[in-house]
Amino acid sequence: MAATDSLQTSRPGDAGAGADGGSRPPVALVVVAAVLAAVLLVPLGYVVSVVVDVGWGTLEPLIFRPRVGELLVNTVLLVVLGVPLTVLLGVGGAWLVERTTLPARRFWAVVLVAPLAIPAFVSSYGWASAVPSIHGLSGGLLVSVLAYYPLVYLPAMAAIRGLDPALEESARSLGLGSWAVFGRVVLPQLRLAVLGGGLIVALHLLAEYGAFAFIRFDTFTTAIVVQYQSTFAGPAAGALGVVLSALCLTLLVAEAGARGRARYARVGSGVARAAVPQRLGVLTPLVLLALTALGVAAVAVPLASVVRWLGRGGWGGAWSQPELPQALTQTVLLAGGGAVTAVLVALPLAWLTARHPGPLARLLEGTSYVAASLPAIIVALALVTVTLRILPGLYQTAFTVVLAYVMIFLPRAVVPLRSGIAQAPVALEEMARSLGYPPIVARLRVTLPLLVPSIAAGAALVGLGAANELTATLLLAPTGTRTLATQFWSQASAIDYPAAAPYALLLILLSVPAVALMFAQSRRRGAR
Amino acid sequence: MTTLALSGVAKSFGRVPVLRDVSLTVPAGTRMAVVGASGSGKSTLLRLIAGFEHADEGEIRLGDSMLTAPGRFVAAHRRGIGYVAQDGALFPHLTVEQNLRFGLPRRRRDPARVQEVMELASLDPALAGRYPHQLSGGQQQRVALARALAPRPAVILLDEPFSALDTGLREQTRQAVIDALEASGVTTVLVTHDHDEALSFGGQIAVIAGGRLVQSGPPAAVFDNPVSTEIAAFLGAAIVLPASFTGPDGAECALGRVPVRHDRSDGSPGGRLLIRPAQLGLSPANGTHNAVVEDVRPRGSHAELLLRTAGSAQVLIPLRVPAHEGPEYHAGMRVSVTVNGGGVLYPPD
Amino acid sequence: MTRRRSTAAFAAGLTAVALGLTACSADGDEDPVAAASDDALVVYNAQHEQLTEEWADAFTAETGIEVVLRNGNDAELGNQLVQEGEESRGDVFLTENSPAMSLVENAGLLAPVDQATLDQVPEQYRPASGLWTGIAARSTVFVYNPDELPEAELPASIMDLADPAWKDRWGAAPGGADFQAIVSAILELEGPDATRQWLDAMEENVTVYQNNIATMKAVNAGEVPGGVIYHYYWFRDQDGTRENSGNTELHYFGNQDPGAFVSVSGGGVLASSENQEQAQQFLAFLTGTTGQEILGTGYSMEYPVASGVPANPALPALDSLQAPAVDPSRLNSVDVTDLMTDAGLL
Repeated sequence: MAATDSLQTSRPGDAGAGADGGSRPPVALVVVAAVLAAVLLVPLGYVVSVVVDVGWGTLEPLIFRPRVGELLVNTVLLVVLGVPLTVLLGVGGAWLVERTTLPARRFWAVVLVAPLAIPAFVSSYGWASAVPSIHGLSGGLLVSVLAYYPLVYLPAMAAIRGLDPALEESARSLGLGSWAVFGRVVLPQLRLAVLGGGLIVALHLLAEYGAFAFIRFDTFTTAIVVQYQSTFAGPAAGALGVVLSALCLTLLVAEAGARGRARYARVGSGVARAAVPQRLGVLTPLVLLALTALGVAAVAVPLASVVRWLGRGGWGGAWSQPELPQALTQTVLLAGGGAVTAVLVALPLAWLTARHPGPLARLLEGTSYVAASLPAIIVALALVTVTLRILPGLYQTAFTVVLAYVMIFLPRAVVPLRSGIAQAPVALEEMARSLGYPPIVARLRVTLPLLVPSIAAGAALVGLGAANELTATLLLAPTGTRTLATQFWSQASAIDYPAAAPYALLLILLSVPAVALMFAQSRRRGAR
Repeated sequence: MTTLALSGVAKSFGRVPVLRDVSLTVPAGTRMAVVGASGSGKSTLLRLIAGFEHADEGEIRLGDSMLTAPGRFVAAHRRGIGYVAQDGALFPHLTVEQNLRFGLPRRRRDPARVQEVMELASLDPALAGRYPHQLSGGQQQRVALARALAPRPAVILLDEPFSALDTGLREQTRQAVIDALEASGVTTVLVTHDHDEALSFGGQIAVIAGGRLVQSGPPAAVFDNPVSTEIAAFLGAAIVLPASFTGPDGAECALGRVPVRHDRSDGSPGGRLLIRPAQLGLSPANGTHNAVVEDVRPRGSHAELLLRTAGSAQVLIPLRVPAHEGPEYHAGMRVSVTVNGGGVLYPPD
Repeated sequence: MTRRRSTAAFAAGLTAVALGLTACSADGDEDPVAAASDDALVVYNAQHEQLTEEWADAFTAETGIEVVLRNGNDAELGNQLVQEGEESRGDVFLTENSPAMSLVENAGLLAPVDQATLDQVPEQYRPASGLWTGIAARSTVFVYNPDELPEAELPASIMDLADPAWKDRWGAAPGGADFQAIVSAILELEGPDATRQWLDAMEENVTVYQNNIATMKAVNAGEVPGGVIYHYYWFRDQDGTRENSGNTELHYFGNQDPGAFVSVSGGGVLASSENQEQAQQFLAFLTGTTGQEILGTGYSMEYPVASGVPANPALPALDSLQAPAVDPSRLNSVDVTDLMTDAGLL
């Protein structure tokens, strides 16, 4: 999973901090945040430097060639077809569990988010081993849509929960039927959630490597990895990287444009009454059938494959691989390092935007989002190049892996921290000072305890994302390092399905807490 | 109990001046209400006293100690000044009791003090174990006051503490707070935009407008003799009539000749006369009239009449009469208006 | 302290803590992650992990020298070594195919291999330069599914696969170093123009898979009638579950055809290594009897090339394959990836 899961809730400016809004931030804080933002921009700088360094003369034939055209068609088709499908499933699912008489709505609410706990490349492995002939665009679409629609479902659910039913009731009283109400009142209010979720899905589709490589579907990311394996971080990989980065930034700009000035709209505060649910009536069996099919395809098929291969490998065989405990330990250490560092990097940025909102804070924060929107493969290429050429001491070190995790997953830490800081207004610190505590003590005794849940949430989301990270880890990990993801990948690509199964299961189990956290947050955000 | 004194205090945010040359003395044990429209700088004044902001110029002195002066600044936590914020600003992660204990010195933590201040703020002891979000708005404000009072500060500052409360609760909470302050005898500064709140708060009132302190004194005196017609209107319903001629026995205005209670005019022949609606008496005209009823609007407990003065000035005057008298009036009716007590005379516009 | 200064101090403090913790986390991670003590031998391993691990374990058992593997594939690790230059932490480089080794050799990064080691290896399996040595060999084969492709229709030469009749009828993994080595042999034997044409036709005809195993599995499943792979994937699967090769047969092109190319896996010592002696020891071990017997008797099914150790009896003898004569040091990986990139295969 890539970085930008919470992008739609993470726009600068919705901090809502009463605080000392707009006051001039201390110079030290600005300097720290600026330095961090500059480091975060390294991948983007790499892309620019490829263009400058290699020169357009070399790049042009590498970019304008039939292969890039094919990749472009594949990648664009994937996004153009995949995003609407995820929106359909995500919004439809959210509406069904929130606003209809669907039986066992809570159960379905959980089932619909469950695919998020299965890393896309594990899901792809499940499908490829269940239906070996699966490949190409249709296979890529199947696997990625099933893996990523929850990224639309969660924000859509939060948005629907936050809608004021009075609006829908007013629309009915104005003579609109229930479908018309959904189309003309509910959907427009979901626009921001859908745009945000759609952007995240699109960025995931562009960044995904494992899932597509497994079923022979070529996108820019898979092609860059192939180029990297053939020519290392050479100009051809760089050229593909330039096009891929351009696609990501285009999406970012397009989404910002589509949002328009409504970007800071917030979900309504406090829903007094639950909305009257839409009766499904005779459609109920049909809807249940569709949801069951979705659940089977997105959850049961991959899980069944994992379980089948676990059984095939035998409990003694598959689990007694000597690499398994080592991979688990190293995954925990690297992901833990990523989580702690990401929180520490996020703190000054979140502090700046929550306590000192203004153009400068927006600029610095925007920087971190642009950086995080670049795919892991670009981050990895950039760090390989930079560490080799400029900082050879950092090449192939755990530090560089951790740095990559921070770059890729930073928004996951910034978002909860910023809302946490916003909920710990500066007035509370002032109060503590007026009660006799020096500023530092006031901050430690009042603000820090209030931030603990946000810090924990941010660290968990980053850590669990990092534990599942494949692409950058493959390129950056120090000699001898194995993580669950890379070990799974090496076994699965050697078609040793039984040996890959324990890693798949561990990856799924590791993801469950993060998904539970995201699910709980979405429901709370809506209900508040 | 200590006297709080400000002199020549000024503060700007960037290029925007917020306070200019404010001098104010709050005598020991007094309750001072600072009233001003929003944006007048009153909250900044409070934050300067608390030590949350630095003054650009001027001095703030508490008793014998200088808190703020050029080259000197006592940090907020060393000032011994309690602060109650608009929304209470209770620490959400602490219980009521922990909030109350928060400011008590750690070494000689007096368990009785918590009970004492709870009583003082009329808080039910059963609330001690609750968290702030389990309290009503009024309870939160009383806890905030009790917390501020607990370390026995020399001064308590209240920043619009009742504005977030519902009307009914506001009155009740305000009285509880005044009682607690009265009982503790602490020097207090309240800032508010609500003139009724300011006028009924206590011993002194200070009016702030455009970053300047325009008037201060006992509430009744300030209300009776505002420095300008704008301040008069800010402090309550005001009728300002052009006065064409003034002489020793009063000023000539659309309602006739009215005695001048306070003369703030500059000696020029004309001027403006301030009268409060409560001073007006009304009777149906018998022969002579000085106003015509323009409109009658029933308002439940009373009726509101809109009068147009006779003569060339034709000033509109809103006036209340008891509900049962409402039907006695109708539009176009000629009436006679009398003024009880005199007016305050201001220079012409 | 003033409000502004205190915020600044807080920010500065946070940063200090952040940097400190980052340093700690980096330090803390380094040991268990790298798992390499300073004197352990770092092997940049593009050979099969399992094979090199067998080698390393036996070597450690024999000499007490610890070995740490950095696993990757030929071109990736070769290019990486070139980029790293003198900074490299690697001591030994092992490849599956020779082009990546030539890349490192041409960058001047290899130290001469001990003569004693070279003496263990017949001349055709090592370059004249003596800067690296062959450690194993693998043969190109055409795996096919007799249900889809009758024996009579088998291609006589790998060059025939460019024929439009073969459109969508054969698979390969052009992203992998194995296939790229085969292309380098075609380039060496047939020249650039013929290779370019062949690659252009291949781009039209081929079904691309991720690697040799995936190609073989697809042939086995009947997804594609045939595929170009190396021999040992098929023999390993035959020796094991036959799950991915049970329905398939092997076709050797023979006849000195480019498709009968036997690729030499190389081993070299990096000139920048500070463990020269141990690194040379490792190469001597690989090409010695014990090392070669691991190839001959172990799971690997690759051909031993040194010390007279025979291949696994399941394999046809190496000298029976009628492989074309190709000087391993003349195979060029850069030209191949450029040609393949031009053809749109990369």
